[in-house]
Amino acid sequence: MRRGSSKKGSANSTTSTNSSAMDLFRSASGKAATKELERIDQLFYSYSNESSGIIDPEGIECLCSDLEVEHTDVRILMVAWKMHAEKQGYFTLEEWRKGLKALHADTIVKLKKALPELENEVRRPSNYVDFYSYAFRYCLTEEKQKSIDIESICELLELVLGSQFPQQVDLFIQYLKTQTDYKVINMDQWMGFYRFCNEISFPDFNNYDEDLAWPLILDNFVDWVKSKQS
Amino acid sequence: MSSQKKRNFQIEAFKHRVVVDPKYAEKTWKILEHAIHEIYNHNASGLSFEELYRNAYNMVLHKFGEKLYSGLVSTMTSHLKEIAVSIEASQGALFLEELDRKWTEHNKALQMIRDILMYMDRTFIPSTHKTPVHELGLNLWRDNIVHSIKIQMRLKDRLLELVQRERGSEVINRGLMRNVVKMLMDLGSLVYQEEFEKPFLVVSADFYRGESQQFIESCDCGDYLKKAEKRLNEEIERVSHYLDARSEVKITNVVEKEMIESQMTRLVHMENSGLVNMLMDDKYDDLGRMYHLFRRVPNGLSLIRDVMTTHIRETGKQLVTDPERLKDPVDFVQHLLDEKDKHDKIIHLSFNNDKMFQNSLNSSFEHFINLNTRSPEFISLFVDDKLRKGLKGVSEEDVETILDKVMMLFRYLQEKDVFEKYYKQHLAKRLLSNKSVSEDAERSLILKLKTECGYQFTSKLEGMFTDMKTSDDTMQGFYAAVGHELGDGPTLGVHVLTTGSWPTQLTTTCNLPPEILTVCDKFKTYYLGTHNGRRLSWQTNMGSADIKATFNKGQKHELNVSTYQMCVLMLFNNGDGLSYTEIEQATGIPTVDLKRCLQSLACAKGKNVLRKEPMSKDIGEDDTFFFNDKFTSKFYKVKIGTVVAQKESEPEKQETRQRVEEDRKPQIEAAIVRIMKARRVLDHNNIVAEVTKQLQSRFLPNPVVIKKRIESLIEREFLERDKDDRKLYRYLA
Repeated sequence: MRRGSSKKGSANSTTSTNSSAMDLFRSASGKAATKELERIDQLFYSYSNESSGIIDPEGIECLCSDLEVEHTDVRILMVAWKMHAEKQGYFTLEEWRKGLKALHADTIVKLKKALPELENEVRRPSNYVDFYSYAFRYCLTEEKQKSIDIESICELLELVLGSQFPQQVDLFIQYLKTQTDYKVINMDQWMGFYRFCNEISFPDFNNYDEDLAWPLILDNFVDWVKSKQS
Repeated sequence: MSSQKKRNFQIEAFKHRVVVDPKYAEKTWKILEHAIHEIYNHNASGLSFEELYRNAYNMVLHKFGEKLYSGLVSTMTSHLKEIAVSIEASQGALFLEELDRKWTEHNKALQMIRDILMYMDRTFIPSTHKTPVHELGLNLWRDNIVHSIKIQMRLKDRLLELVQRERGSEVINRGLMRNVVKMLMDLGSLVYQEEFEKPFLVVSADFYRGESQQFIESCDCGDYLKKAEKRLNEEIERVSHYLDARSEVKITNVVEKEMIESQMTRLVHMENSGLVNMLMDDKYDDLGRMYHLFRRVPNGLSLIRDVMTTHIRETGKQLVTDPERLKDPVDFVQHLLDEKDKHDKIIHLSFNNDKMFQNSLNSSFEHFINLNTRSPEFISLFVDDKLRKGLKGVSEEDVETILDKVMMLFRYLQEKDVFEKYYKQHLAKRLLSNKSVSEDAERSLILKLKTECGYQFTSKLEGMFTDMKTSDDTMQGFYAAVGHELGDGPTLGVHVLTTGSWPTQLTTTCNLPPEILTVCDKFKTYYLGTHNGRRLSWQTNMGSADIKATFNKGQKHELNVSTYQMCVLMLFNNGDGLSYTEIEQATGIPTVDLKRCLQSLACAKGKNVLRKEPMSKDIGEDDTFFFNDKFTSKFYKVKIGTVVAQKESEPEKQETRQRVEEDRKPQIEAAIVRIMKARRVLDHNNIVAEVTKQLQSRFLPNPVVIKKRIESLIEREFLERDKDDRKLYRYLA
């Protein structure tokens, strides 16, 4: 039920469930909106580093413990995605504002409550590709870095795809750890794997065609699995 | 309006009432009937042609054509029936003779009768659509004689019997056969076919079926083919002598089918005498016969081609995988050339230069030559051998022939870039050791390679020749300018090689003896003085030296050695009994090369200017070396240096292969970029196909390698994958 005319809320708001708290929030007047922003900023400063003015890994750890979520939990990554955070382990004020506004959270409690819905939002197929590629970019810590080492990739895979495609991820991680051809994975290969999980039948790989434009590493992966199976 | 009626005057035909004697027709007919009898009884001479003609004419005129005609039919029929009886009565061989005689008589009679009845033939018959006299005569003969029950079967049997006898090498009366067969032909092609041709073909088929079975059991392939050819020729001759020409193709088809087509597989694969044996033993006649016979039947030639191809591929494969053969590359390549020559000759002499056979031969060679990955290296070694000594004293024409043959082998290679690499290495050695037998021959081959592969392929090779020439000029200039300063020092000869044109060598360390260093430095100064901005580095692993050495009894020898060897030997001017370590330290030569160098100086028979302790075969790091006072040789000049091109050792081969693979990567990438730049968007399979096509004149790219290059280009942001269709790639400008 919308009563107010001022739409100071961010455009990020998606069709949400019938949470009455949300409705109330949305129907708040402009003054309330400003208040909200203030609270968001305050929350930011409660975690940020004094000298740098941004939230650093330490701050994020505090945030996580307050949210009662492991800092390796995928939901933090999702929050970072919502914020469009650029640097792994750091949140700037801009990013913080963007994220929390979109989540309609100005307190820790609200933020925590927003997490399940955020998860649903991310898991929608239309968003997931974006999230998946974001996850990769987020791990590129050095400037001009284009690939991620195998160890980190394995962790990232588990984190991001482990629940959705457990068997494929499991096998692929095994393969990555045993093979010697590749020491790093690039974006093209990363995205290829997601497509692979979605399109290729498992565990027989019947519709996999090596002559098509699959990244070479996946050709080798399929060969490896097939030789293991026989 | 009144119209004047015109009255037409009609003039009517004058109707002449002729009172015809009712008996007139009968009377006239009787005259004619009598005449026919007489004609058949050979009594025609007493008849008057004019009178008879007039009588017939009158009958027709007076509307008695019908009576005349039917009378003719019945008279002729009754005569023919008599004739039939007489023919039927003949016995044995006389049967056909009687038939023939009576036929001839009948024709004569028919002619006369026709002449007499010509008016009827021209007027009454056409208007009543009856059969003309001549044709009528033939039809009546057919119906009453040929189709007479007692004659029909006998005629057929007799004719076929005679043919069979002739096939059994008996002599028969061909003239009689011809006449009788012609009779059937004259009666109409249907009669010929029914009464003779059809049964003839059936009987012949049975006969040849049996004969082919008999021959195939008892003859070898060559003999069988001779027999089949003989039979075929016989039938053709038979037709020309006494059958209808149109029967030729039918009877030859029968022979082809029964004797060739049904047995051809068995013939080709016959043990000890089949196609493969003929090929191996160069049986040109037999092969030619097989070719011409099999050409006549469907799939005959393709059968020969297939078996030949399989055979060549098999022998080729054995040749290229036989370790004994592979020990001597020059011999190996010579064998390849011999095999090609042999089969070329067969195709030329026996297979009519058939293009399809030529193609099969080429594709077979291409197939098995590429089974051995060392083929490019070996072919280059063969060329090297020829250009060093093999072409000595050979006429210009013959040189061209040999080089053309080499080019032919070159065309079969899939990995032409590997050949190029080896060729360059071997050429470098030839040039630097001045071992080429003829510069014209070298140039000629390079020209052929250029024509085949384009300028890119040979530009560096030509650069090598240029460097050699330029070096000569440089040396002249050097001695002219600085010669007076050199005094008694060693005479220096320098080849200045442009990096990039020559095979890449790693620069190695080597401490040159002081005398050499002096003169080398002088050269360097001179050269850099005239060529600004260049850098020179001495390639001590490629040079050679001539040293004069004096041995125990005062004998002097001139030793031709490599630069490394020279450095080692010069050490012995200042000391003897040098240890390996001392030598190593003094010369600075890398271990592998030093060991090889010492081995050739101390362990080779007839060339051991050094003595080694202990006397073992290999060079050990604890060995000590002495100047071999007791060295003898019957030659004044002794050659010890080894700069000859040799078959690569295993590790060298791996290295070359690796370098080739590395060189291929940028070429593949360049091809991909070229293609994508032109096409903008292209799917994976098409890129692979296009790249393969573009590079096929140099090598066959591995699709996996192409894929890897594409991914590398994606990473470097030259290309991207299409967002919607994942099979497509997009060029990023």
